[in-house]
Amino acid sequence: MSSEPRCEDIRTVEEINDKIKCGDAVVVTAEEMIKLAETSGIEVAAKEVDVVTSGTFGAMCSSGVFLNFGHADPPIKMTKCWLNDVPVYKGMAAVDGYLGATALSETMGFDYGGGHVIEDLVSGKEVELRAESYGTDCYPRRHVETTITIEDLNQAVLLNPRNCYQAYDAATNSTDRVLYTYMGTLLPNYGNVTFSGAGQLNPLCKDKNYETIGIGTRIFLGGGIGYIIGEGTQHSPQTGFGTLMVQGDLKKMNSAYLRGATFYRYGVTLYVGVGIPIPIINQRVAATAALRDEDILVNIRDYGVPVRPDKRPVVRRVSYAELRSSKIVINEKDVPSSSLSSYKTAREIAEVLKKWMTDGTFLLAKQVEPLPKYREFKPLTVRKRELSVLDVMKREVFTASPSEGVEEAAKKLVDKGIDHLPIVDEESRLMGIVTSWDLAKAVARGKRLLNEIMTRRVITAKVDESIDIVVRRMAQHNISGVPVVDEANHVIGILTTDDISRKLVGGVTK
Amino acid sequence: MRLKLIYSPEVVEKPILAETILKTGVPMNILEAKVNAQKGELVVSVPASGKQLEDMIQMFEEAGVKTRILTRTLQIDARSCTSCGACISPCPTRALRFKPDWTIEFDEERCVACRVCVNACPVKAITVPNV
Repeated sequence: MSSEPRCEDIRTVEEINDKIKCGDAVVVTAEEMIKLAETSGIEVAAKEVDVVTSGTFGAMCSSGVFLNFGHADPPIKMTKCWLNDVPVYKGMAAVDGYLGATALSETMGFDYGGGHVIEDLVSGKEVELRAESYGTDCYPRRHVETTITIEDLNQAVLLNPRNCYQAYDAATNSTDRVLYTYMGTLLPNYGNVTFSGAGQLNPLCKDKNYETIGIGTRIFLGGGIGYIIGEGTQHSPQTGFGTLMVQGDLKKMNSAYLRGATFYRYGVTLYVGVGIPIPIINQRVAATAALRDEDILVNIRDYGVPVRPDKRPVVRRVSYAELRSSKIVINEKDVPSSSLSSYKTAREIAEVLKKWMTDGTFLLAKQVEPLPKYREFKPLTVRKRELSVLDVMKREVFTASPSEGVEEAAKKLVDKGIDHLPIVDEESRLMGIVTSWDLAKAVARGKRLLNEIMTRRVITAKVDESIDIVVRRMAQHNISGVPVVDEANHVIGILTTDDISRKLVGGVTK
Repeated sequence: MRLKLIYSPEVVEKPILAETILKTGVPMNILEAKVNAQKGELVVSVPASGKQLEDMIQMFEEAGVKTRILTRTLQIDARSCTSCGACISPCPTRALRFKPDWTIEFDEERCVACRVCVNACPVKAITVPNV
């Protein structure tokens, strides 16, 4: 937007609804709105168009369904419940439950979970219900096992605490190993970039000042009708990351727009289709509804650094246009990029919603209350003290120089009762490492000097890292110890799995 | 073109692949190898066609190696695929891409059957048929 747009009201929601009922409303998809604004200008587009439809179809982990199973005879106060072996939250009344999209099957693990159960229910498939209880005077039954379909349920309400992120940071990986994340498979050494979100079709982007979208807005949800019931969790509008809490009748939804999914080695989720109509009530809304992929920017973050999401290092800032071009430049290298959310399905949703309105079957609902424009996004403060590398590492490190002989090194290991020997230069900077196993191999192969046998790419730790992170790193590389280094790569300690188990068990000394 | 080479126990220890490469000068790329004392199975990518390919197959057959031309690597179940794109950027050989209508296009020739996409697909729409 080059100049401050005028924002007198052009039309009201009520006026648009009257036109929808008569079949006179001008409804266009966000893509069509962009074209119109480019060819005729935003003023003309704002005058001509009554409603712009948006759409998105992506993995939305904060999703789930409230279910009411009805009472068996004799009845049961279900305290634990499973659908196809996926646990249902039962901290509610006797036969009410909440099935979360990311809950994992207790028998199939990552291959099946809450998201898949939801898809199966919507598809009309039979699902196995199993429940347990302690039995009460009013609910004597202690066990029930049966099969159900969505038809058998009294209510099945999709209620998603956080859907429809306004935009989402893209992901890449600086490390030298493949990462499997909720942002998909990330190849080593910035090997690819993945991103999520429909960009120029994304609902909240199309009304980024939340002038029309608010509590009470009627929407396309999972192929049926839904409503916005509030801000989503982690709603952070001031940084451009607004979210929505939505609900709708699962019984009227369609499995084309609700798909169970597995992110390899990460977990299970649900792809949710959301489409929101944007009534063009003034020119400012028209301008945001005409925003293009080029205008919507996100960060590319490095998922190789195991810190909380907002602290992951920003590699670059990019537009959705660049992300969608399938090629991103990082460090002067072309890196392939691809989406995790389906642009094709997002388009389809915008088209379906448009058709509902031109057919006169979907009316706009005016917001009852706007969404908050500001929300602090707080991290979790961990007040209980956790072990860090500094707490557990040994400060007394026995090292060797690369020119030392194998025999001398073997003697050191035996005398000191250790298994790891960091190899350092004159200023105790780390050059490599030798373990007792390396020495055994050296003897077998007739090698004489440490620099012939040492491992040069050493896995290390820093003093302020949490033990959990370093243990995971050791397990990933299948090693039993890491030198602790400072910023200048000086060896200042050593941490071994022996040290950790001793610390955790406590009191046991060698 | 990809070939599956099946070595019988009698010839499993002979360097037939190396000999064929030296004789023909065609730089074959080994995509998969399962070799033990009893038998061997290799999948190789062969940058050859027509007469050259036929000769090569004959050379293998004469040396006691059964060959099969592999025409299908990946299968994408179009009914299940959501066209999300999660398989595209992890593909190391750029064998998967979007068509202008944002559905997924698969380039058989570029595929080395590494199976990265099979795991990357959130809805398990991609399978590699057993060959």
